[in-house]
Parts: sequence; structure tokens; C-alpha cells
Amino acid sequence: MVIRLEEVVKVYRLGRVEVRALSGISLEIPRGEYVSIMGPSGSGKSTLMNLIGALDRPTSGRVYIDGVDISGLNDDQLALLRRKKVGFVFQQFNLIGKLTALENVALPMWFAGIPRAARMRRAKELLELVGLGERLHHKPAELSGGERQRVAIARALANDPEIILADEPTGNLDTSSGMAVIELLEELNRLGKTLVVVTHDLDFGRRARMRVKLRDGMVREVER
Amino acid sequence: MLEYLRFSLRNLSHHKLRSFLTLLGVIIGIMAVVSMISIGSGMKASLKEQLEQLGSDKVFILPRIAYGTAAATLTDGDAEAIGRVPGVAFVSPLYSVAGDVTYRNERRIVKIYGVDPEKAEATFGAGASGYRLLKGRWLQRGDRYKAVIGYGVHSDVFSRDVNVGNTILIHGVEFQVVGVFKKTGDREKDYTIYANLDVIREIFGVGDRVTLIIARAERGADIEEVRLRIERLLEDRKGSDENFFVMTQKEILERVGEAYRVVQVVFGGLAAVSLIVGAIGIANTMVMNVTERTREIGVLKATGASNAQVMKIFIADAALLGVAGGLAGVLLGVLISMGINAAAAHYLGEGVLTTTVTPALAAFALAFSLIIGVVAGIYPAYRAVKLDPVEALRA
Repeated sequence: MVIRLEEVVKVYRLGRVEVRALSGISLEIPRGEYVSIMGPSGSGKSTLMNLIGALDRPTSGRVYIDGVDISGLNDDQLALLRRKKVGFVFQQFNLIGKLTALENVALPMWFAGIPRAARMRRAKELLELVGLGERLHHKPAELSGGERQRVAIARALANDPEIILADEPTGNLDTSSGMAVIELLEELNRLGKTLVVVTHDLDFGRRARMRVKLRDGMVREVER
Repeated sequence: MLEYLRFSLRNLSHHKLRSFLTLLGVIIGIMAVVSMISIGSGMKASLKEQLEQLGSDKVFILPRIAYGTAAATLTDGDAEAIGRVPGVAFVSPLYSVAGDVTYRNERRIVKIYGVDPEKAEATFGAGASGYRLLKGRWLQRGDRYKAVIGYGVHSDVFSRDVNVGNTILIHGVEFQVVGVFKKTGDREKDYTIYANLDVIREIFGVGDRVTLIIARAERGADIEEVRLRIERLLEDRKGSDENFFVMTQKEILERVGEAYRVVQVVFGGLAAVSLIVGAIGIANTMVMNVTERTREIGVLKATGASNAQVMKIFIADAALLGVAGGLAGVLLGVLISMGINAAAAHYLGEGVLTTTVTPALAAFALAFSLIIGVVAGIYPAYRAVKLDPVEALRA
């Protein structure tokens, strides 16, 4: 199992109010799986994503990522885990506007301490892989939505992570560029990456081999 | 490290105007510090040079000024008595007055020094206080209605130049100009007319009063000992030495130096304040920077930046602001120093004041600006580190 959750509870404190985002989730995702996480807003999808992506720690329960329990890790250990194991793809793309496509893709490799020449070489290869070999030195503002999301996917691949986490990756795209992004992600899955997608889009969600449906912070159904 | 600077350069050039305005704060501060220090050390150097030039064999005796008038008077008799003090080789009584001087129907108030013509050259001449003739000659024994004029009187006081052979009226009495001094750089000396002591006192009706007595010590005499003897003599003659200054040249220059130091401290303080303002500017920009880049910080953390790496990214921004400002400030400081030198050469005379920005001063200023940047960046960078990645990405 590349991801394993055991009785995970996550409680947020918003001022005086406690919000129970996840109330006891257990889930196992095998290596190389293609998973969609679906559910209405407020069902805990984003919270679950943050835990799987090692951005956050559970209030109780255990989250294992590639065998490591993240609940006991400090900030820097979490950062190291994200750097090595997880590639994020966001709805808002979250590229850094002042950097070129090439530099955006190279960023995670900078944090990993890879020398400049090597990371620029790999960033170029990755951008060619996602079909943006002609757009290396463009800034995000000079790219279309679909192109930006492909830059983001190339960035997610930078440190060759085990897991690709995509949070509504087609949410800001038109149908055809959304489809291109879906196909690119599925291609990566075929190449061996574990793909976890959070989506509202039922058609997209149904394409996954494993479909997790959330409601009120609990797993309502897991389809295979 | 280079990588962080490269990243920071991207950030700062992304907000050009803001970066520039922030830089301006540091630039002004460093520029002020650099030019103040260079002026201060230039003044010190020129003071030292003057001291060496003047030698240290003279004692000046003058009444203390209280409430705008002299607290006591000195006379020829005092001068003669001082001349008899053991160790005194030579004594020269002077009378100075600001009087009306007319040249070609233009009337001006000019400072006039009455001096014994025979002692004029020995009192003011080369090697002593540094007067040198531009044209003509010194006053000589027997000169009565003759005058030697400073460079300013020659070239600046009247609309036409006053030259050797011209006639001027001092308090209505005709004097012939027999000599013109070169520019000394000392305004007091350059804007003065020198003439016969007795004649000037007659014209202004002040009897045997003198306003300054210059005594020169014999070769090898202990100048401080001579000074003390003169002080004791005045005490005997006048009942008290409280109303007189008896100072060696060294003491006079030390007093001037004291005044310079006060000026230096005041200006240094102002420069320090402007540096603090510059640092606050950096801190302000950095706080804004962190607030604005919350989402970016989330992305940096999501893509695996450790807290130390985030810290370095933001410290590098602030440090770069500091150093860039410091660099520009040092360059401007050098330009100001060069400007001061040019102005000093023009108005005060060549070599009177030479300010320099030494490599050590430049290095100190740069190091200081780096420290300012880093210190100003610490708190904002800490805030960036403390951001929760989940919250930051939601921003």
C-alpha cells in the first residue's frame, strides 16, 4: 500500500467552533492505483487531500505514506516527504508568475538540492513530455489555461514522486483542454504513478479504477 | 546562496517601483553615513595638516568676549611687558576693527588689521601662518598710509578688482595698496586689509588699545611654560587672568577640532536616523511581500521547501535590498565626496579640505547595509515560515 489511513479524524477550530472535517476514515490505496475522490462540498475531500499530500497532520488516527506515519513528523520532515513522494496539481495551477515555465518546473528540484544545470535539463525534458517543448521560456501569464496545467503537471513530476495528487485539475479548464489534462494524468498512471484525483466531475471520476465517495467526513462507498 | 539571490532578483525586479522606493531609503542612509564620515575624516586630516604647517611656537593673547564686548582691554604696555617675559623672542600687538572702506565710490565694511609694519612679515609671513604674496610687497618699517590686502578684498569685495598701486579710503583716509596676498582658504584672512597699527588706531581713535597680541617663543623654549608665564604676568598686571585667553596655536586648533567633532556627531546622528528609516522601509516592504505572496509560500511548501529554505528565500530578498541600496549609497557617497572636494578647492583654496571614501569605509558601509537588510528581513521571513501550507494555499 502506498497510502494507508487508519481511523483518521481531523478537527479544525474556527474561532470557538470546532469543525469535524473527517470523522474516522480508513482507506488503503495500492501502489500504481488510479483513485478518484468524490463527494459534495463540505464532505471532507480537501482535508483528505491535504493529509494524503502530507500538507497537514491528522487530529487522531494514522496516515501512512509509503510506509511512513506522518502524524509524528515535524514541519521539515513533512516538507521532505512532500518533496520526494508527492506531486501536486491544483485547480488554480499555482504556478509562480514571475518564473518561466522551465523555472517553475525546476523549483522542486531546487529544494531537493539538485544542481542548476541538471535540474534545468530535466525540467526541459519534462516540459517536452507534456508537449510544451516550445514554451520553455514563457511565463504563466503568456500561456493558456491548459498549457499552465500541463506546466503544473510537469512540476509535479520534477522529483519523480510516487504519488500524483490532483485537486480539481480540470476545474478551471474548458472541455477539450480538460480532456487533454485528464489523458496526460492517466498516461502518467499507466507509467506507474499512483494517481489520486479529487473531482466534482462525475464523468472524470468514473474513469478511475477505484472510486471513493465521501459524505460528512466519512467514506460512504468505495467502488472498484 | 547564488540560487537564492537569483530568485530574489526575480522578485525584486517584478515590483520595480516598490523595490526602488525601498532602496531609496537605504541609499539615502548609506550615502549620508559615507559622506559624513568622509567629510569628518577630511576635516580631521586638514586640521592636522594646518597644525603641522603652523608650527607650534606662538602664543595668542586676547580678551575674553562676554556679551558681545571685550571683558577687558589690552594695551601696548601689556604687549611690551609680554615681550620681556623670558622665552619670548618676539611680540606683535594687533588691533582689529571692522571699518568702512571706500574704493571708487563704493563703500563696504571690511575687517582691518592694524599691525606694526616692521613686524608684519614676521607675524603673518610664510612658514608662520601661511600668508604668501600674490603681487607687490609686505608692509615695511616706516609705511604709514600703505596697505596690503587679502585675496577676497582684491577680487571680491568691490565690483572692480583692487590692485597694487590703487588707492582706498579707510574711514575717509587715503591708503595706497602695496601688496596682495594669495588665497589662503581662510575667509577671515582673505577678507582683511592689513595696515599700520598706529595709523589705524589714530583713525579710529582708540588710543593704545590692542585686540590681540601674538608672542613667538624662542627656539627650544617650552611653549607651555612660556604660556604659563604670560598668564601669570597678566594676572599680576590686571589682577586676574580670567578676562583673557592665553592660548597656543595648538590649543586654538584643538578648540576648532572640538567644534568639528560636535558637527560630526550631530551629522552622524542624522545619518544614523536615516539608516534606521531605511531599515524600517525594508521591513515594511518585506511584511507586505510576505502578505502578498502567501499563496506562493503555500506553493513553495507544497513543492517541498523546508522552513529553512523559505526563511532563506525571504532573508535573501531583504539582504539584496540592503546590499543594492548600500552599493548605490556608497557610489553616491563617493560622488558627494568628490563634489565637496571640487567645491572646497574652488571656494576655500586647493588642498584645504580633501575628503576621501577609503576602501575600508566602503566595505564597512556595504557590510552594514547587508546587516540592516538581514535584520529587517528576519521578522517577515519568520512570518513566512510560520504560515500553515494548507491555509497559505487557500489564500
